[in-house]
Amino acid sequence: MVRVGDKLIGYATDPDVRSRGASGGLVTAVLAAALEKGLVEGVVVLKRIDEYEAIPVITDDVQEVLASGGSMHAVPVNLAKYAAGRKIAMPGKPCDVRGVIEQAKRNGVDLESTYIVGLNCGGTMHPVVTREMLVRMYETDPEDVAGEEIEKGKLIFRTKDGEEKAISIDELEDAGYGRRENCRYCTVKIPTSADLACGNWGVIGEVAGSATFCEVMNEKGKRLLDNAIDVGFVEVRPADGKAIAIREKVNSAMLKLGDEWKERVFTGIPDQERLTYYMEQFADCIHCGACKEVCPVCTCGEDSKCTMFHSLADNYRMSMYHMVRLLHLSDSCIGCGQCSDVCPVDIPVTSIFRRFADPAQKKRNYEPGMDLTRPPFLEVMLK
Amino acid sequence: MTDNEWEPKIVAFCCNWCSYGGADTAGMGRFQQPSSLRIIRVMCSGRIDPMHVLNAFLEGADAVLVTGCHIGDCHYVNGNYKAEVRYRFLEEMVRELGLEPERLQLNWISASEGEKFANFVRDVTAQVKQLGPSPLKPEGVN
Ligand SMILES: Cc1cc2nc3c(=O)[nH]c(=O)nc-3n(C[C@H](O)[C@H](O)[C@H](O)COP(=O)(O)OP(=O)(O)OC[C@H]3O[C@@H](n4cnc5c(N)ncnc54)[C@H](O)[C@@H]3O)c2cc1C
Ligand code: SF4
Ligand code: SF4
Ligand code: SF4
Repeated sequence: MVRVGDKLIGYATDPDVRSRGASGGLVTAVLAAALEKGLVEGVVVLKRIDEYEAIPVITDDVQEVLASGGSMHAVPVNLAKYAAGRKIAMPGKPCDVRGVIEQAKRNGVDLESTYIVGLNCGGTMHPVVTREMLVRMYETDPEDVAGEEIEKGKLIFRTKDGEEKAISIDELEDAGYGRRENCRYCTVKIPTSADLACGNWGVIGEVAGSATFCEVMNEKGKRLLDNAIDVGFVEVRPADGKAIAIREKVNSAMLKLGDEWKERVFTGIPDQERLTYYMEQFADCIHCGACKEVCPVCTCGEDSKCTMFHSLADNYRMSMYHMVRLLHLSDSCIGCGQCSDVCPVDIPVTSIFRRFADPAQKKRNYEPGMDLTRPPFLEVMLK
Repeated sequence: MTDNEWEPKIVAFCCNWCSYGGADTAGMGRFQQPSSLRIIRVMCSGRIDPMHVLNAFLEGADAVLVTGCHIGDCHYVNGNYKAEVRYRFLEEMVRELGLEPERLQLNWISASEGEKFANFVRDVTAQVKQLGPSPLKPEGVN
């Protein structure tokens, strides 16, 4: 029996799952066990298409879950909206988890019946940018790539004929490649608002690469893990002091790096130029609505205030659609980057939203998606 | 006032129970009031959706005033309190947008405070005259 607060090292007992998993397959095995034992009706997993593409599916087939292991760094999808209205278990990067929590606050998700296995996250890459990076920086045909991993700050690609090439992420990012911009300044690396927080930081020694560091965050996490151990899908042992310290150390180094990126990305725009800047940025908008559609913290649905004003026919200096969204997201935007990813005219929607949301959230000492105790901010009393 | 002097358009949201009464009192007391004002009466300042304010700007308002009963005096218990919560977000948004903060103002005015209402509108009008037309004003609107 595990306890809430336990920090463990674990892996899947099935050698096949263990080797296919990103680091020991614990996550996959926990999700499969939840399905096997009827803890949930379905599991959200990424169904891999190729190195740069995967689609989220909800499955009730244990075999399909067991086959889904592995981390896809070039798939920046957000899974939060798949949790709505279902009794499921899901894996999730911190932004997936935070999306689910914000949805739950707005009654979009019933957290009681949703289990989240959190994944530490150092960032994701845009698939199109990744392909271009492979050609330019790695001098490799994207179609030749057979696998990818991140080790000691380097991004390593393996080709089908077994060759490996590593370039440091810093170098890639200085050249404009690497992680998506929002991931560079993302503020949550270990998803402590999930039920379990899993990752490879702190996995050292002979298990490095074939086990996962797993922290039990709450009762649901305990239930998930106990269940997986009971059915024999997973084995765990306590993490030692050194492992715990290393995980902490890497986490703080990553957060520090994030702060540095924040300074680089959010250079001040003088007062007199800001409005022009925003108007010019949004002037290209074709009002496709995609940025709202993908936003994992938006729960309004189709009949929302912003889309009511979604018209190319108006002659406003700045679209009402964006004005409403800038305000509505000032309490809830988690900076997941989805909106920028999907914008067909390359408006830096995420960084614009962060310019508004970041100071508003900081001022109220409020980090969206981190706990349930603070209700949506715009709708409640401040004192 | 000369004929060609620019007059700002000021939209004031007034709650039925206090600030609208204040505007009325200002009129009855014959306090001199600029012609710049357009009053929109709402039942409670808590009914003022930030969207109303933003829409006023996009339709050509040079300034928007959010007004209501003094805190503690709301006819509907705490509508003005909710208005204030939203207003703080709006205020931050207006600043970040780069719109001059003088263009959005909040004031609690009771039904008996006609003079306060008149002075408030006069002050804002003077401030906005200094600033000139709102940069968000659509083409063709003056
Ligand atoms: C994009 C990404 C970045 C990561 N960065 C770090 C890091 O910096 N430090 C760290 O300690 N750990 C990181 N991890 C977690 C780590 O790679 C392992 O997922 C974790 O250690 C669990 O290993 P496992 O073998 O048990 O997982 P697996 O059994 O391989 O299960 C992985 C699960 O993640 C899901 N998944 C894969 N890709 C994505 C994606 N892009 N978005 C959402 N879900 C996905 C799969 O569907 C699967 O359910 C990252 C994971 C991802 C997906
Ligand atoms: S926004 Fe944060 S949690 Fe999400 S993919 Fe990027 S780094 Fe990971
Ligand atoms: S506004 Fe953009 S960055 Fe913010 S939560 Fe929504 S999709 Fe993510
Ligand atoms: S995704 Fe881009 S083009 Fe589409 S509505 Fe959003 S900002 Fe406009």
